[in-house]
Amino acid sequence: MNDKSTWEFGTRQVVYGAIGAALYGVLSLATNYFPLPAAGNVTFRPAVAVLIFFGVAYGPWVGLLAGFIGNTLGDAAMGWGFYWNWSLGNGLMGLVAGLAMAVVKDFRAQSDIIKAVGWGIGGIAVGMLFASVTEKFIGGLDWNTALVGYFTPAFIGNTVVTAILLPILMIAFAAVASRRGR
Amino acid sequence: MLVTWKYRPRNTFIQSLDPRTRLIYMLCIIFALTLPDIWDYRIILPLFLISLTLYLLAKIEWKDVKRVWIFISIFLFFIIGLNGILSGRGGPDSVTNIPSPILFEIPIKIPFTDIGWDVPITVSKTWFAVNQIMRMLTMAILAIPIPYTMDPNIYGTAFRRMGASDKISFTMDLAFRFLPTFGRDFTITMDAQRARGYEIEKLKGGIPEKIRKLAPFIIPVVMQSTVTGEEVIDAMDLRAFGTAPRTWLKQLTYAPRDYFILGLGFAIFVTCCVLKWGFGFGGFFVPEFFSNWILGL
Repeated sequence: MNDKSTWEFGTRQVVYGAIGAALYGVLSLATNYFPLPAAGNVTFRPAVAVLIFFGVAYGPWVGLLAGFIGNTLGDAAMGWGFYWNWSLGNGLMGLVAGLAMAVVKDFRAQSDIIKAVGWGIGGIAVGMLFASVTEKFIGGLDWNTALVGYFTPAFIGNTVVTAILLPILMIAFAAVASRRGR
Repeated sequence: MLVTWKYRPRNTFIQSLDPRTRLIYMLCIIFALTLPDIWDYRIILPLFLISLTLYLLAKIEWKDVKRVWIFISIFLFFIIGLNGILSGRGGPDSVTNIPSPILFEIPIKIPFTDIGWDVPITVSKTWFAVNQIMRMLTMAILAIPIPYTMDPNIYGTAFRRMGASDKISFTMDLAFRFLPTFGRDFTITMDAQRARGYEIEKLKGGIPEKIRKLAPFIIPVVMQSTVTGEEVIDAMDLRAFGTAPRTWLKQLTYAPRDYFILGLGFAIFVTCCVLKWGFGFGGFFVPEFFSNWILGL
């Protein structure tokens, strides 16, 4: 996990960080255009699966940048404002998921897909916990509201989306990469 | 899907400020209220008034921000306010620890049973809810105008000049430029899938099935973007990106008004820290005028 390629930060990471961020922002916007399933206060955002995928495919730096900038972009395009703690929480979500890059070698192998989903769920837990807990200190919420009202719905919704869409994205990516040869 | 920015150039004081000034000032206020844990209305109210003044100086039309304000109002009054009134938790311990007159009690029971308890609504909890709403608004109304008043093309330069590396700032700049392109790609994909009979508005099945059925919409755009990425990387590598420090097209310079706002921000932050940690001033208490007023109702 500490090998050079995992933590490399060059042109590739800059470009895919920007692409991941733009896709995350656009998909966050797209959820306004078509009805997404929801249960209680749990909303399902397919954009999260794309963010986790960029982390898994291109590493932790890409995940961090795509999450942080993508959330900022989405909020900016929708006119919500700039909430640094949620942007950073989304960045951490991508960063932790990106650590999977070191262990995922074959995007078609079932075991590697399971590892990627596992790291993705870990990322969701870390990122959403960070955002919810900082909201407690910034907004003066109690632990109950921060954990039950904020963290739990975000964690459940994002986990479901990741578990369903990430394997599809990985298999599609494997096909594209093999055709492209790099 | 047409991606349009909320930003429009306006001839206002806020837009004449350097974007760095506004971001740094906002962080100063957030940290001034949260790090020393300020809950005293004598500090929060003036800060709220300053934030409100800056918001009004942005001259954003109501029709532009109506939806955002409805959402924020629901969030503040029904989630934060009600939570504060009912539980009094989330702030300092003194909200629930100090003896406070009970205004009334709300019975919370399991429907059709007598099982439950009465939640006392005290003067202290009510004042805490008011404080909490005002405190959150002080920070939120600094964040809301940013998308409306800050040029999307300047984010990258602003972060670079705030100390972020060339690569991180370039990522931000590039992402803002990619956004409309990918918005267009999504529209094309959606239209193409519709032509094949895929109706994204009428997805059937349970939640997992509905999410899975979004794949024909998401996968083509994501995969195409990975191919586009390789082309951009080649173009940037050929131009020797990352081998030397970059120059930026847009230059940012602080004007006297920026120094004034920055000075104000730092002064507020330092004052709040000194008041709280140096003099123990800034904690939660219920002012006499509020107790007298609410008990007299």
